[in-house]
Amino acid sequence: MSKKRFRWSIIAWNSRSLFVLLCLLGWSSSFTGQGYIGKRLESLSQKEIPELIQVNDLAASEQWVPRTEVVPNLGLSNDTQWLRLKLDPRIENGQLIEIQNAGIDELICYMVCDGEIIATYERGVFYETPVDSRIGTYPSFPIPLVECGELQALFRLQSSKPLLIPLRITGPREVLRGAHERDVLFAAYFGVILVMLLYNLFLFLSIGDRSYLEYSIYILMVGGTQLVLNGYAPVFGAENVPWLNLRLTHFFGVFSGLTTIVFAQNFLRLSHYVPWLHKLLNVYFVLYVVAFVLTVFDLLVWSYSVINFCAGAIFFLIPGAIITMRKGYAPARYFLIAFSVFIAAVLVFVLKDTGLIPYNQWTFFALPLGSAFEVILLSLALASRINQLKREGAKAREEQLELAQVNEKIVRDQNVVLEERVKKRTFELEEINSTMQGTLNELQSAQQQLIQSEKLASIGQLTAGIAHELNNPINFVSSSAQSLRRDFEDLNAIVEAVKSLPANDPNLESRIQDIHTLLGQLDIEFTQQEIEELLNGIEDGANRTSEIVRGLRIFSRMDGDNFIQANINELMNSTLVVLRSNLRTQSQVTADLAEDLPEFSCQPGRLNQVFMNIITNAAQAAESTDLALEEREVVVSTLRVESIGQSWIEVRIKDNGVGMDDAVKAQIFDPFFTTKPVGEGTGLGLSIVMGILRDHNAEVDVQSEVGLGTEFIIRFPI
Amino acid sequence: MINVLYLDDESHNLTAFRAAFRRDFHVHVTTEPTEAVRILREQPIEVIISDQKMPSLSGVEFFELIMPDNPDPVRMLLTGHADIDAVIDAINKGQIYKYISKPWNEAELKSLVEEAAALYHQRKVMAREGQQLITKMDEARVFARRIQQLTADGFPATPESRAEIAELANQIDRLLQS
Repeated sequence: MSKKRFRWSIIAWNSRSLFVLLCLLGWSSSFTGQGYIGKRLESLSQKEIPELIQVNDLAASEQWVPRTEVVPNLGLSNDTQWLRLKLDPRIENGQLIEIQNAGIDELICYMVCDGEIIATYERGVFYETPVDSRIGTYPSFPIPLVECGELQALFRLQSSKPLLIPLRITGPREVLRGAHERDVLFAAYFGVILVMLLYNLFLFLSIGDRSYLEYSIYILMVGGTQLVLNGYAPVFGAENVPWLNLRLTHFFGVFSGLTTIVFAQNFLRLSHYVPWLHKLLNVYFVLYVVAFVLTVFDLLVWSYSVINFCAGAIFFLIPGAIITMRKGYAPARYFLIAFSVFIAAVLVFVLKDTGLIPYNQWTFFALPLGSAFEVILLSLALASRINQLKREGAKAREEQLELAQVNEKIVRDQNVVLEERVKKRTFELEEINSTMQGTLNELQSAQQQLIQSEKLASIGQLTAGIAHELNNPINFVSSSAQSLRRDFEDLNAIVEAVKSLPANDPNLESRIQDIHTLLGQLDIEFTQQEIEELLNGIEDGANRTSEIVRGLRIFSRMDGDNFIQANINELMNSTLVVLRSNLRTQSQVTADLAEDLPEFSCQPGRLNQVFMNIITNAAQAAESTDLALEEREVVVSTLRVESIGQSWIEVRIKDNGVGMDDAVKAQIFDPFFTTKPVGEGTGLGLSIVMGILRDHNAEVDVQSEVGLGTEFIIRFPI
Repeated sequence: MINVLYLDDESHNLTAFRAAFRRDFHVHVTTEPTEAVRILREQPIEVIISDQKMPSLSGVEFFELIMPDNPDPVRMLLTGHADIDAVIDAINKGQIYKYISKPWNEAELKSLVEEAAALYHQRKVMAREGQQLITKMDEARVFARRIQQLTADGFPATPESRAEIAELANQIDRLLQS
């Protein structure tokens, strides 16, 4: 079922019920006004009479005050009231006295015939009327068929509700007819109420809109109120619970008021459209709760007053509905009409009590009639409201959908743009990436080259030094060999001369003389001394060569970077050997190496590079001073130390060179930092040294002072 | 015999050098630069050989040191390894005649020393001849000045003066021809 058809069906249904109601109205118009005989009544308040007076004495009292209203109103109080009705036994006996108010709590009727009580009827909410005495829902009292000079009916009344006395005397058939009419009318009314209740409950269950539930409860309360007011309380079986029965009117008053407030607040969206009224209604809400509490605590008259006062709240609903309607909330129109009708009905109901308009069946039924109209109109209003909400919801959904579509389009467009951008950026990034990768590769290879060139520089320095170290011995060994050969030839000449001497040469003397001459010529003593010196030189040269070669062998363990066990002193010695020729011209290098140092795991080749670098730097620093060669010092020492719970091998390389300031000292391990002129030194030496020492978990401390020198302290953990 | 001075901090080199060349030259050897300076003062040294790499001072520095007082001896540098920058520097400044690398070749070194000595003597002769030339030029200048005086007042009038001018011209001729 489409939304629209659904809406129309609701309105159609409501129209149908309205039609039924109109028919009922037409029917009830046949009602004729009944003769209430309030003006025949006389009243007396309990306060004005002696406490212990006999009823028959009271009947004869002179204090009775005649009533002037058609429907006497004895007001709202806890006081007991008395009414006297003088009857005409000739025409009125056998008839019924009917008081059309089912809400009187205590209503006792004494029939007094010539000063004698001949019948007592106990009616009202307090008492359970015998079934066979019930005629209709209102209390009624049969006038006995007796012969009396003077017949009086005395009524003792007490109620927590206003004591309105619409009293008439009529025949049982008429009472029955009235009761029947009321039954029919109220049945129709309750039919309407019930249908609306079930209908709205059904709507609530099927649609789930809370306002239908609120409205259902509201209908229940309004209908219940009418039921109780018109004496249909037994329908609830309330008679079996006297406590509740007595307060039923109050409870229904409270709950119908509360539900009206809640329903109106939500229906008119008062918190949104008319906040002040919303707050005001909240005050009424609280007052109703107070009334409820008063009811529970037996302060029934007070409670009724509060409820009465609170009923005024509905008058605020009219301006509230108008303001809401003005603000463009269409369902408020139905609400306005519904409550206008209801308020009109209430006005009629109230005015008839004050006597301003006649008390007849019409005015009497104004309230249920108005209530029925109200219920139906409100149901229409609710449907309209639901439709409005649905329309708004649909509109909002449509707008949302449209917005969503627009958004989606924007998002789609954006996506395309974004994708494009992402693609572009990705491409750019990839390009940059590849460029960077290339740069990185170049840098890595450059770094490798630099490290390699630093290594090569070390090796170059090394080979130059070693070449020189080897050159000298080679030079004098080879030269001495040649000289030796010549000296040997000289000696050989002597030997040959001696050898050629015949054992028995007669000229031996002169031959010996010749040899002596030869000895003198060859300066053989000098030659012998020279041979000695040359041999010493050759021996020394051989020793030195082998020492250098051994040092080289240790030093040049630059094969791979394997960690092996090595002795630090051996490494240091070999470094000093290969550096000796370079160092000799720069400064005095002394080594103070501790004995019995344990071997430790290290990379000997790389450590040699470390020591060579630092010692060379130290010697150069010393050379840069104004000191004479003998005064320039580089001291290399090794030591075993115990510190922070560990054993270390400590290497100290100390010079009395130019030293460094803090700024230079802070940078010495930075790559490419150098104090040497451009073109000399790569600036990588110490940075590589640092890397190597880090690989050895070594601690490095540098102490330096300008003009005094520098000391490197390196500690290897063992 | 050629007088050779050899300076080297390595005494074995000195021994080897003396053993190799004592038969050919007057060999003077020392490890100390100061001793070398003393020898230069006392001996008619013709050729000086110095090692480049020495602890106290380099060979080039040594040559610079002795140059002002001993310009004549021919200088040769002995280098252990190709310290090529120092060598270039030394040659450009005219401080050395040749450089020899270790280990030396005995025959080559011997002929180099002989060449150097020959150069030394050639320089000596040229210097002497130059000196003689200067002396003659001075004498000739004296005669020329006299001729100028005689011809100052125009052509010489007297036969005596004419004869004197002819005599002076003959004198200059003779000087220049020698």
